[in-house]
Amino acid sequence: MTQFLQATVYGLLEGGLLALVAIGFSLVWGVMNIVNLAHGAFVVVGAYIAWKLNETAGLDPYLGMLAAAAGLFAAGYVVQRCLINLVVNAPIWMTLLLTFGLNLLIVNGLILAFTADFRAIHTGWASDSLAFGEVRVPYGRLAGFALATAVTVGLVLFMARTRIGLAIRSTGMDRAAARLMGMNVRHVYAFTFGLAAALAGTAGAMLGTINTFSPASAAGYTLQSFVIAVLGGLGNMWGALAGGVLLGLVQSWGGQYLSGTLVNAIAFGVLVLVLIVRPSGLIGRPYYEARAEA
Amino acid sequence: MRSALGIALVTLAMAAFAVAGCGKKSGGGGEQSSTEGGKLKIGAALSLTGSLAKEGALTKQGYQLCQEKVNKAGGVKVGDKKLKLAITYSDDKSEPDTAARLIDKFNDDGVKLVLGPYGSPSTEAAAAAIERNGQVMLDSSGADDNIFSKGYKNTFAVLSPATDYVAVIVKAIMDGAEPKPKTVAVLSADDGFSQTAAKGGVAEVKKQGLRIVAQESFPEHTTDVSSALTKIRSKKPDLVLGSVHIEEGIAIVKQSKELGVKPAGGFGETVAPPTPDFQKALGDSADGVVGSTQWTPQVKGKDAVFGSAADYAKDFESRFGAKAEYHSAEAAAACLGLVLGLEKAGAADPKKVRDAVAGLDEQSFFGPIKFNERGQNVTKPMSAIQVQNGEVVTVYPKDQRQQKLQWPAK
Amino acid sequence: MRAWLPWAAAALGLVLLALGPTYVLYDAEQRTLGSVFMFVVLAQGWNLIGGFAGYPSFGNVVFFGLGGYTTAVLMVKTGASFFVTVPAAAAVGLGFAVLMGIPILRLRGHYFAIATLGVAEGMREGVINLPGLTGGNKGTTIPAVGEKATASYPGNTGFYFYFLILAVIAMLVVWGVARSRFGYALRAISQDEDAAAAAGINTTRAKIAAFALAGLLTSVAGAIYAYQQVTIYPDRLFSVDITVLMVVMAVLGGAGTVIGPMIGAVSLQYLSEWLRDNLTDYHTFVFGAIIVAAVLILPMGVVNFALDAWKRRRIALFQAVRAYRL
Repeated sequence: MTQFLQATVYGLLEGGLLALVAIGFSLVWGVMNIVNLAHGAFVVVGAYIAWKLNETAGLDPYLGMLAAAAGLFAAGYVVQRCLINLVVNAPIWMTLLLTFGLNLLIVNGLILAFTADFRAIHTGWASDSLAFGEVRVPYGRLAGFALATAVTVGLVLFMARTRIGLAIRSTGMDRAAARLMGMNVRHVYAFTFGLAAALAGTAGAMLGTINTFSPASAAGYTLQSFVIAVLGGLGNMWGALAGGVLLGLVQSWGGQYLSGTLVNAIAFGVLVLVLIVRPSGLIGRPYYEARAEA
Repeated sequence: MRSALGIALVTLAMAAFAVAGCGKKSGGGGEQSSTEGGKLKIGAALSLTGSLAKEGALTKQGYQLCQEKVNKAGGVKVGDKKLKLAITYSDDKSEPDTAARLIDKFNDDGVKLVLGPYGSPSTEAAAAAIERNGQVMLDSSGADDNIFSKGYKNTFAVLSPATDYVAVIVKAIMDGAEPKPKTVAVLSADDGFSQTAAKGGVAEVKKQGLRIVAQESFPEHTTDVSSALTKIRSKKPDLVLGSVHIEEGIAIVKQSKELGVKPAGGFGETVAPPTPDFQKALGDSADGVVGSTQWTPQVKGKDAVFGSAADYAKDFESRFGAKAEYHSAEAAAACLGLVLGLEKAGAADPKKVRDAVAGLDEQSFFGPIKFNERGQNVTKPMSAIQVQNGEVVTVYPKDQRQQKLQWPAK
Repeated sequence: MRAWLPWAAAALGLVLLALGPTYVLYDAEQRTLGSVFMFVVLAQGWNLIGGFAGYPSFGNVVFFGLGGYTTAVLMVKTGASFFVTVPAAAAVGLGFAVLMGIPILRLRGHYFAIATLGVAEGMREGVINLPGLTGGNKGTTIPAVGEKATASYPGNTGFYFYFLILAVIAMLVVWGVARSRFGYALRAISQDEDAAAAAGINTTRAKIAAFALAGLLTSVAGAIYAYQQVTIYPDRLFSVDITVLMVVMAVLGGAGTVIGPMIGAVSLQYLSEWLRDNLTDYHTFVFGAIIVAAVLILPMGVVNFALDAWKRRRIALFQAVRAYRL
């Protein structure tokens, strides 16, 4: 029984972290119909920013997270405005190839800058845990889960209450109409991408305190983001959180009761199954399915 | 019709291209092409980029140090000539099929003498190519016994085989621990090397009379071993053994702390503990972890090129500004093995070198170098280390140890 | 121009390529050309489903891996000769494509791409988790080299010809498809699937057939590749890098054309080798930059660009930017 509880707790917490990674990816795909294959690379860049600041200036990683978010927002904005906006209307494989090329650039740039060594950001307390009987709740991951929830709530409020949030949602629904209403769609898209990049960076900084990372970690984060975005429904913030938690739980239970080496296979199995059975996502409503492109 | 024209043009172009691009000799006389102008050309396909870039860089340092030392002494004596070593490095991107392709390329350039890539998969792929082409390879890091069970005759591994990696940790702990652990949990990554090492470890554990309470596997390169740890936690093992690489090794210790897996004795892991990354990533948690290593600066033996192990360590530190650890040492030893084979053969002809290397029986800074009929160095024992107060300290074999084993580890 | 002239030229080119190894080509050239031919096959396979039908599959490598592992497993476990395993690999590729295509070809656009990627990755994990059959992450070795070898190893020249023959077959298949009603149906699907269905085309059958052809060609390529590599690992045989390479080659050459993918395969393979030899530390970085630049500058592919330039006297560089920018 303790094993089940421990697996459940760990899965939940892991799921929260995964959701944090995936939420930006889901946003971009949902609003702009762009699959950003470089998303995992953004996550890792965020981790490196926080790590470097911690190394050289002794900056606490939670402040480093903010720096990572700011830096990546700027970078994401520029990338979208100057690069991806150029091919937004194109057949899918163009944006896929473009973001794939971007991913190669970023990951290899990281290898050239930082070498392929494994890094981790130290906090004294991240590995300690709360104990409920036999079941442990690690502080670092708990903080990650809390952050993920806070971010999700924040995003939902942001989308619902602020002008730019509404602009993003409406542009996601009908770009031509948004333009007719006088919105600067180029700016909105760039802002959205920047936001997603900032979220990825924050996730990366958080992950850096919990896991080890290296440039090679990027691919894994991108792939997991796919699964969660599909599970939760594109562009759906609560869906991303729920999808992340669900994936975390399924992987944790699977790892516990089946062979440990099947964890990755489970993730992909879930992805394909969901796509075949219910592509609009298990959780959310088909948010942008009636999207009109122009 | 238009596309037929197109196909025609491109096919012709390709044919012309192919013909025009020629100019590289294939095969070529072994001695003739690999020795030019007083230099002996040697090939090394390494993982300079990719997931194994770190270890590849360390391997390259070992080869470089060997080349510099040999050339400073005038070169390697081949017959009546003294030739300087000229190692060409190519990047295999940590991909085994690329490594094999690069070996073929070396063969085209007439380079028949090769120093091994990093890691068992790349070495295995390279070994197949070496065998096909009649080249000779000194393997510095491919420990998996699988490589040597295929009847290949041209690959020689200076390092101890994979089966020793976990077994030596068990031996070290049983030798120096008081009280001795009674129960063991074995965790392993699912790649060939880790599995072979785990098997060897399990055999040793049984031989020493310990009880295995759990055995779990997880995917290679994972940073999340929580499932495996949760499964073994309730069994309360005295000793947790990990047959892993750097990432998984770090994850085991880190997540054990999170999940409250506290073996009464401590942890023992392959590959990870002697590396600086391990201590940097774990900080204090790294203390007490026992690791196995192919080499320590306390190893007994000396040779004409590097002197003793302590001499090697000093040279390495002054050349590269970092502490010498075993990845570079095994590379330097592979290069040394090749040099010794060349001197013994008196010629650079691959067949003669191969026979000479096969018959080597020498002492070196790395320990004894002697190969069995499958090409493995079974006479060289591995050592065990322990991280004590942030320092890597040799704890086994007894006559080479710097400190006593701390047990229980914390 | 005489109608037979291009055919004669094509035949001449083929003869030259066939005689190449014996008279002119050295080992390195044979190997490079061998891998060029292999990528021609992969790119053309992708072209059928991604170019003609407009369904961008990001998981074609699953057939490559399945074909390779079929050959390896058969040769290792049953000692079959390579030539027996080729039809087996082809059957596996074809069968799996149909099996996979039925549920997945119902999806469109990104969803289809991601689903195929998921299947490819999932298959890789599946192979890893069957160590008794496939050796798992330890890899598996075809007994063709060394003292214990039971099969022969064809050598550089042998593989050159195997890949050349397969490449010629692939080119003929694509050429045949392009001129047939089947190809017409595929093109209709890629332009407007609903209209095509309304016009009476059985879109499901057409899509699955295209996918099955792609699967067949790709898996035979994988079979030959596995034999050539001798020792194979799941990570390598199901590597997403291979998928990306074949997509880039087909797209930059000209998706939906007959010779586009061939041009793409030839130029990108040579480019990749040149980069690796001359810019060792930076080659992946530069390759990424080239992909980004090419997508911006020449997204329709070289062949379509050339056709545009010749027929309509229009230099359509940066066409994507002009047509597709926001």
